[in-house]
Amino acid sequence: MEFKDYYSILGVERTAGEDEIRRAYRKLARKYHPDVSKEKDAEARMRDVNEAYDVLRDKEKRLAYDNLAAGVSPDGGFAPPPGWDEGFEFHRGAAPGDEAQFSEFFSSLFGGRARRGGAHQEFRARGEDHHAAVEIDLEDAIKGATRDISLRSMQMDAQGRPHMQTRTLSVRIPPGVREGQYIRLAGQGMPGYGGGENGDLYLEIRFKPHPRYRVDGRDLYMNVPVAPWEAALGASIDVPTPGGAVEVSVPPGSANGRKLRLRGRGIPGEPAGDLYLVLEVALPPADTEAARSAYRKLQQELPSFNPRRHMGV
Amino acid sequence: MKKLVIASSTVVGKSQPLSADDLAHACGAEVEWVAQLVEIGIVNARGEQPAEWRFHSADLERALQARRLAHAFGGDLDAVALILDLSQEVRRLKARLRALGGADLDV
Repeated sequence: MEFKDYYSILGVERTAGEDEIRRAYRKLARKYHPDVSKEKDAEARMRDVNEAYDVLRDKEKRLAYDNLAAGVSPDGGFAPPPGWDEGFEFHRGAAPGDEAQFSEFFSSLFGGRARRGGAHQEFRARGEDHHAAVEIDLEDAIKGATRDISLRSMQMDAQGRPHMQTRTLSVRIPPGVREGQYIRLAGQGMPGYGGGENGDLYLEIRFKPHPRYRVDGRDLYMNVPVAPWEAALGASIDVPTPGGAVEVSVPPGSANGRKLRLRGRGIPGEPAGDLYLVLEVALPPADTEAARSAYRKLQQELPSFNPRRHMGV
Repeated sequence: MKKLVIASSTVVGKSQPLSADDLAHACGAEVEWVAQLVEIGIVNARGEQPAEWRFHSADLERALQARRLAHAFGGDLDAVALILDLSQEVRRLKARLRALGGADLDV
């Protein structure tokens, strides 16, 4: 397991005070916010930053972490020595869903502690809900699918020490699911306390980028190349759609960029989305004498055609 | 140790919405906090009385984001509401731009 240097993740000295740590965190939280950041690994960096702040903002966790860090060689692998956390009582600090995504290092130190504390108490409560994201293909959203999803979570062994466990859930993705929707798996969150119910697991649906279709809500967009004569004279063309190939008629006089709507051929639902075909006029290459001659003939036949007329030249 | 579990799943939405309790629990928060979100308009409660409130996926997403923002930057929920509206608009525009413009736009 890799030792995480929480101070260097936040870019502060070991002696930094609470205010300084909070300022450093807020700056980084803005820098790596997913809607703002241009950096590819923003999400992973944000997780590290959240994890570091979760520990350093909390007096007990920070003290325990400092004690531990004092005995760690900077390059070697790391395992917390037995009993390292004796005498500390941690409580959950992270925002919901974040703690489940923290590193194995974090979980081995703090992941099980709150639950060990909780086990002594005489109350009954539902376990915490867990959150994860799942990336699916567009075809899965359209036709439905079953996906295996691996999740890491903390479990207690017989000695009451926490360890990471990976479990695989086989999840049914119903047809018509949209990006950003949540799938709820009842009882798949954290175990309840004192005989209480398990928490639930919420999976956020994300789409993998598709080589052919672009997604906007339930609508799909696809570029369709057409020959100049198909666009000019009209034509009946075959196009692939998620539900199979269909024949589409291109109206005569279609300009480049014209959108043809195929109603109900987007992502299914109530109402189903539409599929937009964006016409893209493809010019035949003038790489043979026959092609050059055809272009010359077009030029002779249409002497008044001026594509720059609207520019006043 | 690996274990394959076939999990029964529901999509959070019109036919399987969340109650105020569900939403609060999913966010690690109290129902009173959900009531604040409703009052400010961060989430959209369908139904009149708190006990009848029903929430969809978009509400869960916004509630979770509100929770994270409040955790990171402190508590003013009116400011959080504005940040959420702006970031939702940014995402809508980016998706629209991708849908219309095609290939890799660096946005």
